Amino acid sequence: MAMRDYAADKETIKNFFVDFCETNDDGQKFFKYSEQLTQVAHREQTAFVVDLDDLYETNAELAEAVKQNTRRYTNIVSDLVYEMLPDYKHKEVAAKDALDVYIEHRIMLEARNHRMPGEMRDPRNRYPPELIRRFEVYFKDVSNAKSLAVRDVRAEHIGKLVTVRGIVTRCTDVKPLLVVATYSCSACGAETYQPVRGLQFTPPAACSADECRVNKTAGQLYLQTRGSRFQKFQELKIQEHSDQVPVGHIPRQLSVYCRGETTRRAQPGDHVAIAGVFLPLLSAGFRQIVQGLLSDTYLEAHSVTCLNQSEENEACEALTEEELSELADEELYSRMAQSLAPEIYGHEDVKKALLLLLVGGVDKRPNGMKIRGNINICLMGDPGVAKSQLLNYITRLAPRSQYTTGRGSSGVGLTAAVLKDPFTGEMMLEGGALVLADQGVCCIDEFDKMAENDRTAIHEVMEQQTISIAKAGIMTCLNARVSILAAANPAYGRYNPKRTVEQNIQLPAALLSRFDLLWLIQDKPNRDKDLELAKHIAYVHQHSSQPPSRLRALPMRLMRRYLALTKRKQPVVPRALADYLVSSYVELRREARNARDVTFTSARNLLAILRLSTALARLRLSDVVEKEDVSEAIRLVEMSKQSLQHVEENVQRGISATDRIFAVVRDLAGSSNTVKIADVIERCVDKGFKPDQVDACIEEYENLNVWQVNQVRTKITFM
Amino acid sequence: MHDFSHDFDSVTPDLWMANEENWKKKLSKLANWYQIPLLNSNASHNLSDGRLVRFRGMVQDMHNPEFYFEKFEVYNTVTNEVKVKSGKYCDTAHILENEKINYTENLKSAQRQAMVVVSLPGLSDWAQEIEDSRNHLKHLNDQPNTTKRLGLTNIKFKRSYDETEEDPEAMEVADNVSGNKEPKTSEKVDDGNKVVSREHLLNFPLPDVPSKSCIVKIYDESENLKLNDMIEVIGFLSVDPSLSGEFKSENNSFLEPESETDAETITHNPPPSLVPRLHAVVVKKLDHCNPLLTETFDQAKILQEASSAREHLLKALTELLLGDKLAAEYLICHLIASVYLRQDTLALGQFCLNLSNLPTNKYPNYAKQLYDIIKQFVTKSYYLPLTIDNLNTMALLPKKDYDCNRLTSGILQLTKHTHLVLDETKMEQGRLDSTGVGNITALGNMIITQKVEYDFKYYKMEFDSDIKVLLLSEGKSLLPSDYHIPLRPEESSLEIFDAIVEAATYYLKEEIMNTIRKYLTNLKLVKYTVSEDLKFVEDDFIEMRKTDSENPFSADDLHRHLVLARLVSLSRGYDTLNKDCWDMTRKMERERLERLKNRVAPTL
Repeated sequence: MAMRDYAADKETIKNFFVDFCETNDDGQKFFKYSEQLTQVAHREQTAFVVDLDDLYETNAELAEAVKQNTRRYTNIVSDLVYEMLPDYKHKEVAAKDALDVYIEHRIMLEARNHRMPGEMRDPRNRYPPELIRRFEVYFKDVSNAKSLAVRDVRAEHIGKLVTVRGIVTRCTDVKPLLVVATYSCSACGAETYQPVRGLQFTPPAACSADECRVNKTAGQLYLQTRGSRFQKFQELKIQEHSDQVPVGHIPRQLSVYCRGETTRRAQPGDHVAIAGVFLPLLSAGFRQIVQGLLSDTYLEAHSVTCLNQSEENEACEALTEEELSELADEELYSRMAQSLAPEIYGHEDVKKALLLLLVGGVDKRPNGMKIRGNINICLMGDPGVAKSQLLNYITRLAPRSQYTTGRGSSGVGLTAAVLKDPFTGEMMLEGGALVLADQGVCCIDEFDKMAENDRTAIHEVMEQQTISIAKAGIMTCLNARVSILAAANPAYGRYNPKRTVEQNIQLPAALLSRFDLLWLIQDKPNRDKDLELAKHIAYVHQHSSQPPSRLRALPMRLMRRYLALTKRKQPVVPRALADYLVSSYVELRREARNARDVTFTSARNLLAILRLSTALARLRLSDVVEKEDVSEAIRLVEMSKQSLQHVEENVQRGISATDRIFAVVRDLAGSSNTVKIADVIERCVDKGFKPDQVDACIEEYENLNVWQVNQVRTKITFM
Repeated sequence: MHDFSHDFDSVTPDLWMANEENWKKKLSKLANWYQIPLLNSNASHNLSDGRLVRFRGMVQDMHNPEFYFEKFEVYNTVTNEVKVKSGKYCDTAHILENEKINYTENLKSAQRQAMVVVSLPGLSDWAQEIEDSRNHLKHLNDQPNTTKRLGLTNIKFKRSYDETEEDPEAMEVADNVSGNKEPKTSEKVDDGNKVVSREHLLNFPLPDVPSKSCIVKIYDESENLKLNDMIEVIGFLSVDPSLSGEFKSENNSFLEPESETDAETITHNPPPSLVPRLHAVVVKKLDHCNPLLTETFDQAKILQEASSAREHLLKALTELLLGDKLAAEYLICHLIASVYLRQDTLALGQFCLNLSNLPTNKYPNYAKQLYDIIKQFVTKSYYLPLTIDNLNTMALLPKKDYDCNRLTSGILQLTKHTHLVLDETKMEQGRLDSTGVGNITALGNMIITQKVEYDFKYYKMEFDSDIKVLLLSEGKSLLPSDYHIPLRPEESSLEIFDAIVEAATYYLKEEIMNTIRKYLTNLKLVKYTVSEDLKFVEDDFIEMRKTDSENPFSADDLHRHLVLARLVSLSRGYDTLNKDCWDMTRKMERERLERLKNRVAPTL
């Protein structure tokens, strides 16, 4: 490979700095680099950032060369900027710090010295450029650069500009790093400058100025702290993020050296993207003795950017052709639903509902009123029907999620707590699971066992999507824009279809009505379904893989990216659909009035339907809600109601049990006429009956007018 | 060829590199590798620096890759000679006093991966003994050490550790330890050296078990080694004492950034006498570590011999379980189980057995006694009494230590097919603190999903595990289990348990023992198929769903049945599922569930 003509490159870059301009929105030309140069000249800005995107536009080949040999071009640009600076200096700059004054003096001195011909100075004593230059040159990587994982940074990247993504695990304090050491000689007073390139340096043994050399005085050199130039220096350690680590491997780490303006950009625990030059570091001291054959490597940072979760997603967002064709499926809706927890067989409607929860409806703010778009779902069911598995899967799939149990594992609980900082003694707020899951999903297992104070707070969260705190003098309102996915176990171990939902779950109706959908998951024998299930499981054991069902499960990663895409759509309900919605709602209300309703059909249901239909439209990546969306939403609401109501009655077994329960009740009543139902249930459960059998008995004998049950159903009175 | 005059005893890295292909071929032709000394059985101080050795163990941690100089020039200041040397397969440059490495040009860098390999955690004594008897090289002990091994090292480091450690088991970290053996403590001593304990440096998952560890440098990235893999490495030994981080000179420059803390340096550069370095030339993944197994794997023969071995095992276990044959059957299945399919949250093949109703009143150490017999059968096992104290203090989960920049091991960092015996009979009432609760959750998660969450502080990562858990308890265990069976001891056996143990030890002669040992390992390697036609299973499933509508037979139950059926078939020497075995499985499960239903309060 021929050597690049660096002089020519320098010229090209110079022209680029002078000529490059962007046209802003007003049509005005904006000379980006000239502007920067001016600011640097006036010491208003230290960092001089060259955006490789801009360079790419002008000269793609040069930009590529810069990427390949960044260190060299940094020096070239640095020289160039230094040369160009005087042209951009429009006014006198007041000295900012001692070093400025110092440099000014030296330059004046230098100028004076040069007026005396004949005096030659040792070139080493000339001022090194690092001392005079008060700016720093950074390159900004092209924006479409692929960010690498730490383990992908290899020997071939040495000397090149790479962008690495990771999590900061350690960062040192910012310390001054000596860039140019200035010494003065005790004998002749001459100043010696020593540029320090590495992390260590050896001070020169004796003065090398002419005077000392000629006189052989070998004057002692003293380090002049004021005349030396220091730079901010910080070392970071970044570690691969968990999704970058291949299965069964340990995350790798990388040292990052930040200087000057790139310091103090990140804290331990931050997700960062760091663009920098990957360089080898020759070890010295102990390490050199021991590992003379090893070289450490580090990344010389050019830019440090903290990523938040959403940015991180955007970084890998663009879907490839392949993925698009995979998604371009007629039945995307059911396919995505089935891809949720594919190892759990069946429960299509529940999965569809969960999918919509992940997508979420559209938030609305008419006249300052806030109507949430987040969908809340409560899963109920007998123990062992994979509720927790579903919750777990959703937690893993959702980009922002918190998994907690109703009891809460920390003292902070679900909402927020005011804690006293042990060091400063100040009060501070610590967010609980709901706050941490802001703009995400909060999965709460064992919802029914929630602590009392959390239960009151959750009312607010579920409708207003905020948490108000008034504790220890701190009064504030935290955002908690979460979708709540709750799982609850029935109060008496098994769901009793004879009772209302709030009796079964022992949660107040006010709270339950805030759920858009309530699902009762039950496991009932059914020949056809059982056969299918048996075949499914047998297949898994035969072939050691999931059966090739008609719809292949989508990979989690693709799902996540598609879901992120859907969130960008803000579909609206067209006026034409309003009538349809209204009539459907009226129909729902009418049905509820006529049938014995165990749930509540209220205006909240209408909102739920709206939310579900907007979520469905989002899922289609459409901007308008269509009639099909609404009817599917209504179907889901209907199905969720059905799951609560149509619980199979067990007729054949009932009679003898009922009779025996009656006998128990009679015994319990003894001579008195009234019995408390709670006592009855307790006694019967002891005797091995199930609560629903007791209820069946109570109801049956009530219908036979053997006894009466009071309004609140707490007492039985014999006729 | 000239290098064939050398054999594996005398080959050096330079000779190896001169003709790498040939050497590898020669190695692969070598019938058994016994003649290459095994570090597990031979103390490293008896082996010379730079010779070819073997080590067998588990990948415990992976360090960052190292960049080493594959080619570099050495300039002799006296003779002005320039030599080209290679840094491959060695740590130190072996340069003379008047030679200088040219750091500026003609350097060729390459990358190698350093891994910490520890000897297999929980390896049974019998397996270790067999290995030792095969691999212990007597003639090595006679060699005068030090002078021969360390050709060119700095004289001032002559105070090498290995002279003080004739007995590796009883060894302390030489004179510096001063009684401070707590892990992770480091204290400043007068000479500026930081001192850490031997346990800290060895970083072995299991406490109180002697172990060895090695830092293995892997040159071939294609191996794709994973954490907790069992591997056998052949490589060049490097035990130059100057590699120890404790000899670090005082930091003289105030400008040196804290690129590596002292703790990190010491942890990553332990004294090589304690943790030798190994430059791998060949790495082999191991499927098992049973020394009794031959290289060739003959499935037909194994299946043929299975039933007779099973008879012996069943007889012994039935006696030990006080005449309870059903429990013995389950225990056999437990011993041969292994995870064979993993999908999302599903891990098929796991077999956590809970033996409850142990006669602890009469024999308080029954669980331990049972374990002592079981450990004679299996290759790797560990016995963990679940006391409140243990749970509150022990580190079960591996955790990343960012100060030392390494993965601090925990008890649950075990290789596949390790048997973990949890003794719940030792538990008493008490208070669990947060560590204890975390440990219980970790154990529970591991049992259900066969995954262990390693703590990386900023996030947690799940690593697949394949650890068979046997829960021994009085009542039903507080940990979840796949199969719970209450023991039903026979009165007659109960009286004479001590005699039974004695008889069993007598009955289990070495020969029978070896049959059983081979049987247990072999069956884990057998390929098992399920025929296409599983109508009997499907029909049974529908039938079972109907019969009990109160406690419906769920999908999980079917999985459990099929896993058990697989093991029942395998244990009897069938490599496919047939109706007989399925019926047998159903009968076993029915009996087991019957027992659970009619569980009586422990009367013993």
